[in-house]
Amino acid sequence: MTLYHFGNCVALLMPYYFTYKYSGLSEYGAFWKCVQAGGIYIFTQLCKMLVLATFFYSDTSSTGNGEFNFFAEIFRCSVDIADLLGFALILSRIPGKGHSKLITAGLGWATAEVILSRGIMLWVGARGTEFSWIYILKCLESNVMLVQHISTATLIWLFTRHDLNKALKPLVSVLLAVTVFKGVWLEGLLHILTIGPWLTIAVKALVAAIIGFCTLHIYSGLAQQIGI
Amino acid sequence: MLNEPDSFSDMFRSGIPYILLIALPALICCSPVMASEFEVMSMSKFDVNGQHFGSRVSSISLEARSLYSWNTSRHCVLTRLINLSVNDFDKIRQGAGGLIVMLPRNILELDVEVKEHITILEQEMLAHTGTVPIYFAPFNINLETIIDDITHTTFKAFSQNQTSVAQLITSVSANGYHATVGGSSNVANKNSKIPIIYGELAPNQLLLKPNENPVDGQKLPVILITATLKTFGVFNEYPVNSDVTVLLALVEMLSKLHSTTKMAPNYRLLFLISDTGLLLNFQGSKKWLEIDDNSALQNVEFVLCLDTIIESISSNPDMAIYMHVSKPPKEKTSISHFFKLLKSSAEKFAYNITVEGVHKKINLADTKLAWEHERFSIKRYPSFTLSSLKSHRSPSRTTIFKDDETRILEHTLKASRIIAEALASFLYKMEPTSSIFDGQFAIKEENILPYFGIKSVLHNNDVKDAFEKYLNNVKIIYDKADSRDPDFMFYNENDVKLNVYRVKPAIFDIFLTILIGFYLLIVFLGIQYFPLFYNIVSKLTRDETSQQTNGHYTERLKYK
Repeated sequence: MTLYHFGNCVALLMPYYFTYKYSGLSEYGAFWKCVQAGGIYIFTQLCKMLVLATFFYSDTSSTGNGEFNFFAEIFRCSVDIADLLGFALILSRIPGKGHSKLITAGLGWATAEVILSRGIMLWVGARGTEFSWIYILKCLESNVMLVQHISTATLIWLFTRHDLNKALKPLVSVLLAVTVFKGVWLEGLLHILTIGPWLTIAVKALVAAIIGFCTLHIYSGLAQQIGI
Repeated sequence: MLNEPDSFSDMFRSGIPYILLIALPALICCSPVMASEFEVMSMSKFDVNGQHFGSRVSSISLEARSLYSWNTSRHCVLTRLINLSVNDFDKIRQGAGGLIVMLPRNILELDVEVKEHITILEQEMLAHTGTVPIYFAPFNINLETIIDDITHTTFKAFSQNQTSVAQLITSVSANGYHATVGGSSNVANKNSKIPIIYGELAPNQLLLKPNENPVDGQKLPVILITATLKTFGVFNEYPVNSDVTVLLALVEMLSKLHSTTKMAPNYRLLFLISDTGLLLNFQGSKKWLEIDDNSALQNVEFVLCLDTIIESISSNPDMAIYMHVSKPPKEKTSISHFFKLLKSSAEKFAYNITVEGVHKKINLADTKLAWEHERFSIKRYPSFTLSSLKSHRSPSRTTIFKDDETRILEHTLKASRIIAEALASFLYKMEPTSSIFDGQFAIKEENILPYFGIKSVLHNNDVKDAFEKYLNNVKIIYDKADSRDPDFMFYNENDVKLNVYRVKPAIFDIFLTILIGFYLLIVFLGIQYFPLFYNIVSKLTRDETSQQTNGHYTERLKYK
């Protein structure tokens, strides 16, 4: 609506900064690592786009009118497995210790996503004269995405560990699958329920919290075991 | 892999300023998204005799308010035409910052009173210099929703006795609208001109009696028939031009009559059409009277002016013809003779048409003339105006709206027939009971229908072609605005768009900031106390797995 409203929207993205500042990343000088993680995010997205454009029939007409196409979504989400590879790349390439390594990966990834996918929209839209709740909603959603991405990074890390309890291995795989195919089952569910945008955000936050808690639970066990 | 602790400041030293140098202008260029866009028409602007009509200001960027809630000049009133009263308009004209009026969807569906009200309002708008920009928007369902919304919000806020807290909540949750019309400044068109076309229906030379030489044809008495072509109204749209239609029908019929009948008429007929009559104070006829070499005007029998011969919007299904004169015609004069012919022809060909004479003296103190014939009467030519209106103040004369077109067509046919019959009886000195325009000379619908499409004297040369087909000595002259002291002036108009943005009041933004502040505080505390949470989860894990723990917890264990 005005620059002030734009400021409000940006203020909603402050948790990114808090995460960086108060989780100890700033003390490790991990800024540059976050930027690198963001670079890998961009690289992954470009690869994904290439694959999507090459192998998938983009039916923009059916997705454009708000219909939920189940099969198209499954195809799209299967490409999102590349995201996991991207995370694996970040974790293997960027050095870091213990918790900060995971937070670096998740934060860098999420920040790059926010800047690239929301930045232009916020700058052009939220600064405009027309008021719409969508900008506030999108910013809130990015907060949920931050939690989501950090859990994903942790899950990938757990997945690559050999010293993980064998009993927990299937659980980690399931959680990863749930995360990747969230686009299908969560969006599909929300579409069927046809609930309002605010409740949608709440449901997404709840799902992210549940996945995050499970991840944290597994992670803390392993962390104590290996002593970090 | 950079790992220095001051890599952050390093980045600022090296790359970032240059990136910003490129990125910032690009970002600023990305203009904010446009909201709902509507076509609007600006109110007509013109000057006559140094008086301004229409608003000089053209751009609006104000809060849109309903008719009932605006109170300062920082509000732009957004309303429907049918809801606007003359009183409201007067207040808005003096106090508001702008006026945007949505036209009705279909003028035909309106009640008689509403139609009358609209024409009166229109006349009121055309009578004043506005200091506020006035725009007309065609009916649009989205705009209707917005108007409903702002009206509804007002009622909610004022109708109930609410507490201050409730009013605060209302004002925070209310939808505001911001209206923007990006009109550029109006530039006076220095080339403003009024086209005037005239032609002569001379007696056919071959049919003149052998003992008369052609020169005598020039000495015959002249009958001048004039009409003005309405080219704009309260906004730039083409009104119904029944006067010109009747005049061209007369041209066509009398010309046919001349070329076939063996009778030589005893008169020369002159026809004159000029653009925009009443609103521009009949500048066209004034100019014509000034330039003409007067050879045509030495021997004038009478001047017949047509003005609003058909009402374009009317509640009355019957029609009437009034003959307006500046002084009552004496017995035995040609005007009184013509009046009688007109009366008897009206009685004969249409049963429900009344023909009456109306006498109004010319008021020289008035800045504007009431009727076109007054221009000629001032020069002492015997003249009169035929109109369907009894009073020169009738708002129908300037209306841009039209209702039932079949009624207009039917009345035009009737009026053409009556006037043509009366004129022919006068020209050929026949009995008023004889009917001339029957059979092959009948005035038919298809003859006059194309004439309704005429938009201006110059438009597509329609009028010129028609004149040249039937008349001789057709000329077009222009009344140009004087560069130093113009009698009239037009203004250039650009296509403008109305943008309506949904906005929230400033208090809403502050309210939102407070909420976001709370949210951030919670997130901050959550992150601060995350180690605590992590410890609890860890204990849970340890109890569950009951594995050996080395108890080596860092103080800075943080997950998120």
